[in-house]
Amino acid sequence: MEGRPLVRWSLMIYTGLFIVFLYGPFVVLAILSFQAGPNGGPQFPIIHWSIYWYKQLFSLNPPSSVAPLPIGDALVRSLILASVTMVLSTVLGTITAQAFRRRFKGSTLVFYLVVLGMIVPGVLVGLGVALVSNSLDIARTWWGTAFATHVVYTYPFAFLVMLAIFNRFDRSVEEAAWSLGVPPGRTFRKITFPLIFPGVLSAMLFAFTLSYDEFPRSLFAAGPDLTLPLAIYGTFQIEVHPDIFAFGVLTTLFSFSLLAVYGILMALSLRRARKVAIQEEAA
Amino acid sequence: MLRRIAPDLPVSIGDCDRERVPATVSYDLELRDVRKVYGNGTIAVERFDLRVERGEFISFVGPSGCGKTTTLRMIAGFEAITAGEVLIRGQRINELPAERRPTSTIFQNFALFPHMSVQANIEYGLAVKGLAPAERRAKARGMIEKLELADVAARRPDGLSGGQRQRVALARSLVVEPEILLLDEPLGALDANLRKSIQNELKLLQRNLGITFVFVTHAQSEALVLSDRVVVMNRGTIEQLSTPYELYRRPKTPFVARFIGRNALIGGRMIGLSDGLCAVDTPHGALRGRGNGEDLGPGDAAIVVVPSEAIDIHPAGRSGGMPDLGRDANGLSGQVISSDVVGHTLFLVVRLGDGAEVRVESHVARYAVDLVAVGCDVALSWAAEESTIIRQD
Ligand SMILES: Nc1ncnc2c1ncn2[C@@H]1O[C@H](COP(=O)(O)OP(=O)(O)OP(=O)(O)O)[C@@H](O)[C@H]1O
Ligand SMILES: [Mg+2]
Repeated sequence: MEGRPLVRWSLMIYTGLFIVFLYGPFVVLAILSFQAGPNGGPQFPIIHWSIYWYKQLFSLNPPSSVAPLPIGDALVRSLILASVTMVLSTVLGTITAQAFRRRFKGSTLVFYLVVLGMIVPGVLVGLGVALVSNSLDIARTWWGTAFATHVVYTYPFAFLVMLAIFNRFDRSVEEAAWSLGVPPGRTFRKITFPLIFPGVLSAMLFAFTLSYDEFPRSLFAAGPDLTLPLAIYGTFQIEVHPDIFAFGVLTTLFSFSLLAVYGILMALSLRRARKVAIQEEAA
Repeated sequence: MLRRIAPDLPVSIGDCDRERVPATVSYDLELRDVRKVYGNGTIAVERFDLRVERGEFISFVGPSGCGKTTTLRMIAGFEAITAGEVLIRGQRINELPAERRPTSTIFQNFALFPHMSVQANIEYGLAVKGLAPAERRAKARGMIEKLELADVAARRPDGLSGGQRQRVALARSLVVEPEILLLDEPLGALDANLRKSIQNELKLLQRNLGITFVFVTHAQSEALVLSDRVVVMNRGTIEQLSTPYELYRRPKTPFVARFIGRNALIGGRMIGLSDGLCAVDTPHGALRGRGNGEDLGPGDAAIVVVPSEAIDIHPAGRSGGMPDLGRDANGLSGQVISSDVVGHTLFLVVRLGDGAEVRVESHVARYAVDLVAVGCDVALSWAAEESTIIRQD
């Protein structure tokens, strides 16, 4: 590589551009969120640095002409929705993947049926659900129709993650447990589950983040009470203030903290075994 | 109950056994006409009959894919039995799930629980049985001491050597006191030296415990050293079931003759009996040997099986004449096409007049090396008593 400066430079520029496009919007957003308030707008230049818009989010500012962001309820709804979706999808995905460890009649068909949920365009699914619920006179709600579409959407992801995990899983460990007299149910809880736990964590993370910022399905299926992405989109329809950027920064930090929790749990479950072994070695 | 067994079974229990055994005796393990067909149509095991006495060490040997693992897994309860019956101490266990069978399995990769310490691995089966913590700790301790695992009891499996893992797997299986221990190539993952020493430990352990071991291997030497009886399998069926000595001395089928030991096989046609020995007409003249109990009639296709250790080499020397081999000896002559010395053993390959090749093994000091070099003419002889005549199939 040293002998080819051209290749080297173009790769470096490519990587640089990639990083700019990946993080640029967020950096701009983060900078603008520290705009002066209440008169500073969502554009450069920064009049002066302040945390006015962060205070605005939590209604800590004296009353002004800028209305508070109407997203508090939506945030709560989205968190609840994402959590419940995460649990249900991961459970379903794990159970389905467990079934797929043995070939059964029609397994290919079932596989494609499940995976369809993540392939079909979200707008179509949303529209379809809206049409069906209208004609059947079912009320559209975030906890009903939207929840169902979220599960249909995230379940295949959880399923695929767990399928990959089970593919590499050594089934003789389970057989060893049975042969020691451990019934299958208990074997799953005490032997299988701890071993696939990193995979379960990944599936949960997938399901949560996918549901948390799901837009097209919710748009049609959520009904009058909006989820967070819909509420944020709604604020763009009126005047945009930097408080939405402040919110963006906070919610991104929240996502990072989720990742951090995931990383820590993962590292813990992987390292525990190694640490014990090393201590013994040293002793 | 013997009605069920097809009369043309390749091999089952010796006929005399059938008469002596009263109907009420139950074996520790019994397989009756067991068959396994996998979902994809593969017939993995067929016409499998076996009776194992309590405390016997039984081995399954055979080439890869012959159905050893499948048979073991049917006994363990990991694989459904397509037809036939498996009985443990007289109880039919076909439908019993694995966790309720009085068997315990040792896997080739040991399958230790990676998230538990060695101690926890060993205790786990006892905990599930509902033993009080103090009692199971004591039992596990006993097993840990017996298998010299005290130093590593607190470690996790991935911090152990291959031999240690092997012992943990043994301890974990034995501590639940199974009636029958099933072992699927448990030494396969170990290096040659370790295999040797663990082989011995295994045999001692089995003697001490007095429980039945069913041991799968494709290393015939292992099976011959360890077992009371050996089941030689080929393409899902039993070729021969005998003691290692019998297997070695009196193979019953050409497959066994090729698979066990190092034998020369010479084809021909049965002539008849003379002086209690069978005579076979071969391209190299009449050869004689012991029949293996099968009734071979004159004219039947037969094979003379000669253990290569039984063969004496007679260098033709400079005279080129054939030596006199004596009355009871059988003889062949040919040319040496390969001659190797490995340690103290001389390995020769001799090409006979019709192009067939015979392998011979001998102690290196018995012959002048230059008289058995490649290209030399040699005569081979052996006592007729040493060779076995079997039916060609
Ligand atoms: N789950 C399965 N589905 C279909 N066929 C199988 C399955 N397991 C084994 N077989 C087939 O059954 C036959 C016997 O396999 P088995 O594993 O019992 O052989 P083995 O004697 O243990 O061989 P090895 O010495 O290689 O372990 C083989 O032809 C194998 O391909
Ligand atoms: Mg096998």
